[in-house]
Amino acid sequence: MSSFLLKTLTKKEEIDRIIRDTIDEVLVLRFGRCTDTVCLQHDDILAKSVTDVSKFAKVALVDVDSEDVQVYVKYFDITWFPSTVFFFNAHHMKLDSGTADHTKWVGAFHIKQDFIDVVEAIYRGAMKGKMIVQCPVPPERIPKYQLLYKDV
Amino acid sequence: MATLEDSFLADLDELSDNEAEMDENDGDVGNEEEDVDMDMADLETLNYDDLDIVSKLQKSQRYIDIMQKVEEALAKDSDGAEKGTVLEDDPEYKLIVDCNQLSVDIENEIAIVHNFIRDKYKLKFQELESLVHHPIDYARVVKKIGNETDITLVDLGDLLPSAIIMGISVTSLTTKGSPLPEDVLQKVLGACDRALDLDSARKKVLDFVESKMGSIAPNLSAIVGSAVAAKLVGTAGGVSALAKMPACNVQVLGHKRKNLAGFSSTSQSRVGYLEQTEILQSTPPGLRARASRLVAAKSTLAARVDATRGDMAGINGRALREEIRKKIEKWQEPPPARQPKPLPVPDSEPKKRRGGRRLRKMKERYAVTDMRKMANRMRFGTPEESSLGAGLGEGYGMLGQAGSNRLRVSSVPSKLKLNAKVAKKLKERQYTGGATTSGLTSSLAFTPVQGIELCNPQQALGLGSGTQSTYFSESGTFSKLKKI
Repeated sequence: MSSFLLKTLTKKEEIDRIIRDTIDEVLVLRFGRCTDTVCLQHDDILAKSVTDVSKFAKVALVDVDSEDVQVYVKYFDITWFPSTVFFFNAHHMKLDSGTADHTKWVGAFHIKQDFIDVVEAIYRGAMKGKMIVQCPVPPERIPKYQLLYKDV
Repeated sequence: MATLEDSFLADLDELSDNEAEMDENDGDVGNEEEDVDMDMADLETLNYDDLDIVSKLQKSQRYIDIMQKVEEALAKDSDGAEKGTVLEDDPEYKLIVDCNQLSVDIENEIAIVHNFIRDKYKLKFQELESLVHHPIDYARVVKKIGNETDITLVDLGDLLPSAIIMGISVTSLTTKGSPLPEDVLQKVLGACDRALDLDSARKKVLDFVESKMGSIAPNLSAIVGSAVAAKLVGTAGGVSALAKMPACNVQVLGHKRKNLAGFSSTSQSRVGYLEQTEILQSTPPGLRARASRLVAAKSTLAARVDATRGDMAGINGRALREEIRKKIEKWQEPPPARQPKPLPVPDSEPKKRRGGRRLRKMKERYAVTDMRKMANRMRFGTPEESSLGAGLGEGYGMLGQAGSNRLRVSSVPSKLKLNAKVAKKLKERQYTGGATTSGLTSSLAFTPVQGIELCNPQQALGLGSGTQSTYFSESGTFSKLKKI
């Protein structure tokens, strides 16, 4: 309902532009469908916290159904919606949350504070020059999933 | 006693002489006998019988003159004054000034007459004075009641609110008064008539002034209204006098001093005639003080415009009034809604390190104690003792070594003030520790190696024995060394 505050990107150029143009701010890209229930919950949390982190982060939604962005979907290997990818100054930031996949955050956040904590951890790590940061969210609130590789 | 009487008489003669002069200046002749008649007895006992002794205003020439002029002017309804002429020369203006003065005099006169009526009527109905406060209402009520003993027969419905009428009827049943003799009654009724006449005269004068105020001081009356403008001009003594005043004085013109000596005046709001203006009556009480200052300032500006007769149409005054209205409205609007504040950028603000006594006390709890300091140092050439013996365990350093001037290293009494909980725990521990040990034990432990070493505790603290002088000290060095 409040996702009208968040920008939805549908074209590859838009994604490129926004990644290039966010300087000294964490860029949060959510890949997902706006109709999925988990996506809606996730979007709700994002929308509520976008003003709080506005000084050091920017949030954008990528609609995974459009044709242009399939390139990115394949590149980031996004299979579960929603998935959130973090960038800082056009670098892809990795997040170690105890799950198998460090390149992105899979699933929805449980509470607003979790999301803000993650963004802050990424910001601090990035300002120090790290490429991967530890996730500050306690493990009970991290969505669990199994990583299948070629149906193994 | 005789001298006292004489002195009073002398004072009285002076007074009446003065009055005689003043009346002569006004052109009055016929009133002198009464002044001279008024004796010391009247002053001392206040038992005057004749109203005219007390209330002379209506007979005075000044009063008659002014009332006449007012009547004429009201009947004539003259058109607007000429622009550009000096205000003071305008004859109408002089009349206004006189009228202002006269209205004040009439008010005083009414008060005197009211006292007269009250004193006479006290014999009949004492409590009426405390029930009906306003002098004119009192006069009307007295006139209506007359010598009647049964108040219920008298219809006071159009004079007073019904609550007060009820109070009057109730108290009349228990009043100790008796009906007045005929001549006193006549005097009282005459006085009531006099009071009502004075009141109507005053109203006439005020109406006249109000109607003329629009042409005398249009800007000022545009802001505060003609009645208050008239009062202000009257009290100030002229439009130019009002213009010369600073605004803070204008604010308190007409302020009635209600506080007695010794009571603070900070609880009173210092507003005078301006309190009666429409603007101030319609502002909420919390903003009254600010608004009165604003109105006083703007009305002073308007008075200055009027004194120089710069703007006879009153445009300035209306503009100022609009300004005042807008400002007061602005004060009353609610503050803007709070926007949610975004979080600050992480690590952008450096941590503010605080210092002070509290921090020092906190640090003292974790500071390195003297005992630990001694344990950290070692004497050269002598092996230190250790907790497990033979070099194993924690080393004791200088603790317990001979020549360290201490048998037991006791810490300098810390200036800590432990908070209540911690202090209680400490005390408990001490006492419980003491309970288990027998009375024969001492805290001195004798070992063949250690022995006892008596030392000067003050030396440990660094104070010395007090009798040591640094000048003749054996360990002292030269105090000043200079290379030749």
